[in-house]
Amino acid sequence: MRVVIAEDNALLREGLVLLLTASGHEVVATARAEPEILPALLTHRPDVAVLDVRMPPSFRDEGLRAALAARAQIPDLPVLVLSQYVEQSYASELLGGGAKGVGYLLKDRIGRVDEFLDALERVTSGGTALDPEVVTELMTRRRGTPLDTLTAREREVLHLMAEGRDNTTIAQTLVITERSVSKHIGNVFLKLSLPPTDNGHRRVLAVLAYLNGGR
Amino acid sequence: MRTTIRQARRATVQLAPAVALAFFSILFITVMIITLVGTIAVVAAGLLPETVLLIRRMAGWKRSRVAAWTGREIPEAYLPLRGTLLERIRAALWDACTYADLRWMFAHYLYGFFGLLAIPLWPLGLVVDGLWCGLLRRDAVVLPLLGRLADRDARWSTALLKPPPKALLAERVTVLTETRASAIAAHSAELRRIERDLHDGTQAQLVSLSMRIGLAKRVFDRDPDAARKLLDEAQDQAQAALAELRHVVRGIHPPILTDRGLVGAVRSLAASSGLEVAVEFEGLPDDGPRAPAAVEAAAYFAVAEALTNAAKYSGTDQAEVRLTRLANGLRVRVRDDGRGGAADPATVTDAAERENAGTSSTGGGSGLLGIRRRVAALDGSFSLTSPVGGPTVIEVELPCVW
Repeated sequence: MRVVIAEDNALLREGLVLLLTASGHEVVATARAEPEILPALLTHRPDVAVLDVRMPPSFRDEGLRAALAARAQIPDLPVLVLSQYVEQSYASELLGGGAKGVGYLLKDRIGRVDEFLDALERVTSGGTALDPEVVTELMTRRRGTPLDTLTAREREVLHLMAEGRDNTTIAQTLVITERSVSKHIGNVFLKLSLPPTDNGHRRVLAVLAYLNGGR
Repeated sequence: MRTTIRQARRATVQLAPAVALAFFSILFITVMIITLVGTIAVVAAGLLPETVLLIRRMAGWKRSRVAAWTGREIPEAYLPLRGTLLERIRAALWDACTYADLRWMFAHYLYGFFGLLAIPLWPLGLVVDGLWCGLLRRDAVVLPLLGRLADRDARWSTALLKPPPKALLAERVTVLTETRASAIAAHSAELRRIERDLHDGTQAQLVSLSMRIGLAKRVFDRDPDAARKLLDEAQDQAQAALAELRHVVRGIHPPILTDRGLVGAVRSLAASSGLEVAVEFEGLPDDGPRAPAAVEAAAYFAVAEALTNAAKYSGTDQAEVRLTRLANGLRVRVRDDGRGGAADPATVTDAAERENAGTSSTGGGSGLLGIRRRVAALDGSFSLTSPVGGPTVIEVELPCVW
């Protein structure tokens, strides 16, 4: 796939280019500062954009703003936002309004190359990739809710669902069969009184909406 | 003639020692006077601080009497008498407020006796007002004069006992010196903590990471499986080091504060607190001017700590955060309607604070202690009211120009 990278740190930028090229992807452009991002995206129309949150000139949340601005101009442009730290409110902004093809990960996760590439592909095909740390934060702050009634296994399944994984990956990660994954998911939806959905993007959104807002 | 000369010579011989004696007498008396004056001076100097304390106690008593009558507190601004005798004497002589007390004492020597007027006023009042008021049903005339007398006494005393601007200034300097010293102490303790976190945590992890990679390189050709296992462990280690580093950075300066400013950061805190938090900002537009970084950080940590405590201990899931921009500062107010009974760290752990002033710990009341210290370092004020049964209100005011 064709990728545009926006990252100001030369070391990380070159590393990302190397990693993506080595795994058969094409890096069509790189941006080193905020003003370069939007033109690069509009010119190259990539399959996915990988953006750093903090960029020059002011080193605040340019990457995030650029991602939102780009999606306003190129609807449903898949964006994977990388950050030195995760902030749950940023995740809400990115995923607001049921957005498709959005990822929000810690930079640390690049190190797990396979998982990172998997997340990138998921985002490119319209899925979601949410950093485990954000999900943990979302899940721990909801006390005194039906979440407490979930078993440990069901919580694990919910956690992975919220990260945006599909049933196959969940089964592999937890070393259980896909059948029991489906069973656990059914229980989770029942206990949280969510309407059952298919194994796709809508399910992730339903879970996130529950964790994010509804009590 | 001869006899006369002999006589005179004898007389001279007789006189010479007398003159010498007179000379010695003068010397002796001078020395004695000096000794006497010196002794008196030393004794007086030794007594000076005690006398000043006595004056202060008298003035303090008068202040509290006047305050009881008028309902308005009269501030005090004394220099503390501490240290060696010489330091105490110097402090006593420099203290502008003590001079004000002395002035009041001399004045009071005269107007203090007005109180004696009460003695004739009472029988006179009883007779006159007894007739005027009791029989003729008119307003009392004489007895209310006693109240006027007390008013007058209070007014004069207030004016005279008020600390002069110089004394207030001196007290302000003392307070600033102390808070500045504690700010520097807090700052260096903070630096030590960061240094320790980086050395013991991140650095140690990086060393062990490098070691594992080295080992993996050694066994790479002989035993690829073992090398792979070592590399897996190395990666776990790297992730742990990164997580630790993020934690340290967050403790130094929360990144979201840089990104979004205080308003955005507090909104984010409220959203992730697990409570239903009503957030209000007064005079703080989203993209308005920003308070100094230290003030923003102190306000942020205060809100974070208050909300954490509310979520943990209050037993309610409702809280209220209000940030107000003042003419010369910032006010932070966090309130929850929980069960209350939170203890103010300043009153509970005062001794413990001095003991581990070097190690700022987190969690529970010591978290509040950290906030109190942070606020004090910025010359701000911190108050916690939490009666049993609630509500718990934490209010922080941070002076700043922006």
